[in-house]
Amino acid sequence: MAVLSGSIKNVVISLFLINKSIDNINNRRKRMEQMEIICFQIIAAVGVARSSFIEAIQLAKKGQYEAAEKAMLDGEKTFIEGHHAHAKLVQEEAAGNKTELSLLLVHAEDQLMSAETFKILANEFIELYKKI
Amino acid sequence: MNILLICNAGMSTSILVKKMEAEATNRSLDCKIWALSTTEAKQQSDAIDVILLGPQIKFAMNEMKEAFPNIPIDVIDRRVYGMVDGKGALDQALALL
Repeated sequence: MAVLSGSIKNVVISLFLINKSIDNINNRRKRMEQMEIICFQIIAAVGVARSSFIEAIQLAKKGQYEAAEKAMLDGEKTFIEGHHAHAKLVQEEAAGNKTELSLLLVHAEDQLMSAETFKILANEFIELYKKI
Repeated sequence: MNILLICNAGMSTSILVKKMEAEATNRSLDCKIWALSTTEAKQQSDAIDVILLGPQIKFAMNEMKEAFPNIPIDVIDRRVYGMVDGKGALDQALALL
């Protein structure tokens, strides 16, 4: 009887451990899906912003300065959305919740940086076109 | 149906392609969906029925319209792209036909 209850106990413990590891896998998968969406939100927002900055340069080239300024403002507004999504990740890491690195996140940061550079250059380009 | 997605490097978009393929399989649609960069897309010789641009290259819309004058083109909705929403993107492609 003691042997039997011992093996039942082992089975219960094994089931508990299996359940726990399935939970872990599910949590990990959920976290990865959430990360994927955050990365995509960054890429979409800063990507649209970069596109607006480039459009602003193209408009200035045609002498449409007002439209160019508007495109710059639109771009800046969209850029901030992407910046917020990224800042949240940095703050979480500072709070001790380490972010899992993925190539997609690196790509998102790459896009963020590129958009920031385009913003500065687009402003300079518009000023230049005004002088020409 | 052949759906071509175009973005900067074809990287993030290739993840969206996977989701769109899964949705097409769910609906039993026979679709070929692939992602290319703008440069690669211009050299593309395969049959294309519809083109979707990533929202990050919206500025290249006119350039792409000139390169593909007879193919319907649209920019993927930013919300759809941001949520990696394969269903929404597939709906947008189908609506262009």
